Amino acid sequence: MQFRLRPLPRLLLGLSGLTLALAGCASTGSDKPLDLSQGVPVGAVLALTSNANVYGQDQQLGMQLAERWFKGKVMPIRLRIEDGGGDEQAASQAFNLLIDAGVVALIGPTLSQQAFAADPIAQRRGVPVVAPSNTAEGIPQIGSFISRVSASSAVIAPLSIKAALKRDPSIRRAAVFFAQDDAYSSSEAAIFQSALAAKGLKPVTVQRTQLNDQDFQNQITAALRLKPDLIVISAQAVDGGNLIRQLRELGYKGSIVVGNGMNTPNIYPICQAYCDGILIAQAYSPELDSAINKAFVTLYKEATGGAIPPQLSAQAFTAYQVVAEALTRLNRHTPINGRPLIEVRQELMQELLSGRYDTPLGAIAFTPEGEVVQERFHVAEVQMEPGGRSGRFALLE
Amino acid sequence: MSDLSLLVQMGLGALLALSVYLPLRCGQLSLATPGFYAIGGYVAALLSTRWPALAAAGAGGLYPLPALLLEMVLAVGLAVGLALLIGRPVLKLRGIYLAIATIALVEILRVVNLNAGWSGGAVGIFAIPQPFDGPGGYLVCTALLLALCCWFCARLEQTRLGRAMAAIREDELATRCMGVPTAQVALSAFVLSAAIAALTGVVAAHFLNTWNARQGGFDASITTLAFVVFGGSRTWLGPVLGGLVLTALPELLRPVGDLRLIVFGLVILVGPILAPQGLITPERLAALARAFPARAAGGNGVRR
Repeated sequence: MQFRLRPLPRLLLGLSGLTLALAGCASTGSDKPLDLSQGVPVGAVLALTSNANVYGQDQQLGMQLAERWFKGKVMPIRLRIEDGGGDEQAASQAFNLLIDAGVVALIGPTLSQQAFAADPIAQRRGVPVVAPSNTAEGIPQIGSFISRVSASSAVIAPLSIKAALKRDPSIRRAAVFFAQDDAYSSSEAAIFQSALAAKGLKPVTVQRTQLNDQDFQNQITAALRLKPDLIVISAQAVDGGNLIRQLRELGYKGSIVVGNGMNTPNIYPICQAYCDGILIAQAYSPELDSAINKAFVTLYKEATGGAIPPQLSAQAFTAYQVVAEALTRLNRHTPINGRPLIEVRQELMQELLSGRYDTPLGAIAFTPEGEVVQERFHVAEVQMEPGGRSGRFALLE
Repeated sequence: MSDLSLLVQMGLGALLALSVYLPLRCGQLSLATPGFYAIGGYVAALLSTRWPALAAAGAGGLYPLPALLLEMVLAVGLAVGLALLIGRPVLKLRGIYLAIATIALVEILRVVNLNAGWSGGAVGIFAIPQPFDGPGGYLVCTALLLALCCWFCARLEQTRLGRAMAAIREDELATRCMGVPTAQVALSAFVLSAAIAALTGVVAAHFLNTWNARQGGFDASITTLAFVVFGGSRTWLGPVLGGLVLTALPELLRPVGDLRLIVFGLVILVGPILAPQGLITPERLAALARAFPARAAGGNGVRR
């Protein structure tokens, strides 16, 4: 028996030795000179599979439209989109893959939780990241190479509360609903609660739901017993839409304010006529009157057969635009062709943060930390058409 | 470098597969592995982010290795403690009922992690410091852990405990009649499984940079079970192979594009249809040993 066992530890030792050798000879590849023969390589990591794919699809379309719109207007870019799935592992793996492929900048990942896993990798390897949809607090603080064009929910969420109170100053009793197993919903709900507290409205109840819930009768009955006159919901499109429908069906007549997760026309088919009158604060409004936004809306309508562009597509378009314009500016004062990748990435990050951009979101710039500085936000009210089949986000003044 | 970090993920998958394999080797279908994995991850995440003195001791901005070892010891201690506590009542259940009870455990831990203040709720804990300056260090660390666990599992097949486990899987009643303390043996397997999962969690938390309640949920239970079903549950080599292959496949299939997860699903489906006992069975290993007599000395856990 002893004889049979001995070679096994030897085999394992050999395997460990092999991995050590592999680890030793790993090269970073970032001292390679930049090859521009097919355009500047830029990578995007979007959630094209998993539960988050509804967001990734919107983003992919936004990015493809940007590619079409900026062709010939900026220096040639070779965009490579990789699937980041919905989990941390896949996003990190996609980041690594694209960084190894020699991209000068990365756009993504779709979810904030993925950003907490993947962004430190880009930071350690010195690759600029522009996040098109991460709204959690602490994203630009991950490091000097991390920036975002999606304003934090801490900035946006309180605006809709303000609008609701302006419209109906008699509101006294607020109730909060949020999906507790969803990172975005729970962090936004905390922001809503402090915004309510700042207005002297301590929520009469905070009800927790789950992302995959269909039936909210228990939470709704518990909340309605306390007679709220404002209900604040932080949830994703599907569960939030169902929650609104059930709230109205169970007789709630007061105001409803919802968060960024429901900032998509995809809620219309879910709550239908019951969507009418809900208030929402937005970082993007299709009704913004600027040349680039009009061009974007037209492109989007052409591509989808007349649909109104959602915020996610506009932000993805913006992320592409920021990278493309910064690259073009950089190349104008210090041509990047043939330069070491590591230097180009560093200079691009500085250029990116120092610029101002006229985007579909309006004029934007960045703080030195990488946080977006956006001039205008919007509060909209959902207005459903008779029959409840479709509707629009009408801007409140 | 991406290849190195993929190797790390594959190693972590193989470790989790071994953790599912150990109770299964004893005839217990336990799906509690992700629960203990989550415990390991939270111990590492909390210690390294909330205890600045621990991280400050490191040189060059890196998290000190002794602190990593301390995390591992604490995580294993906590997981073993919990496994001992709940193992005795839970292991009275058999087959599908044990599976349900262990899923409940995973679910309870997930809900606790979502609601407890210290766990960061659904957002979780981020900015976990790095003990290594690249995936190479993680690879060495994971490979060492995997080698250690493989050696242990291979060794187990020759020991009294390991044979008692195999006997319980074949016929629990007969084993008990032979005077083997079956409850003790099953509990040992459960505790060992918990320890491996917690160790894996510690490495995974640092490797991922972030930890939240989504790590180690019900989905992970099914994925890790698939590793074992795909690779084979009768030798330690089966789950290791299953863990390595099934973790790598979605990444290796990236060139396929949009179809990659469909192909991945097909592989998981076709594997058990063609090889219901898993890819690696003692019979196949024996056949291999006959075909290559020189290598048979390696004795990959071939049971006689």
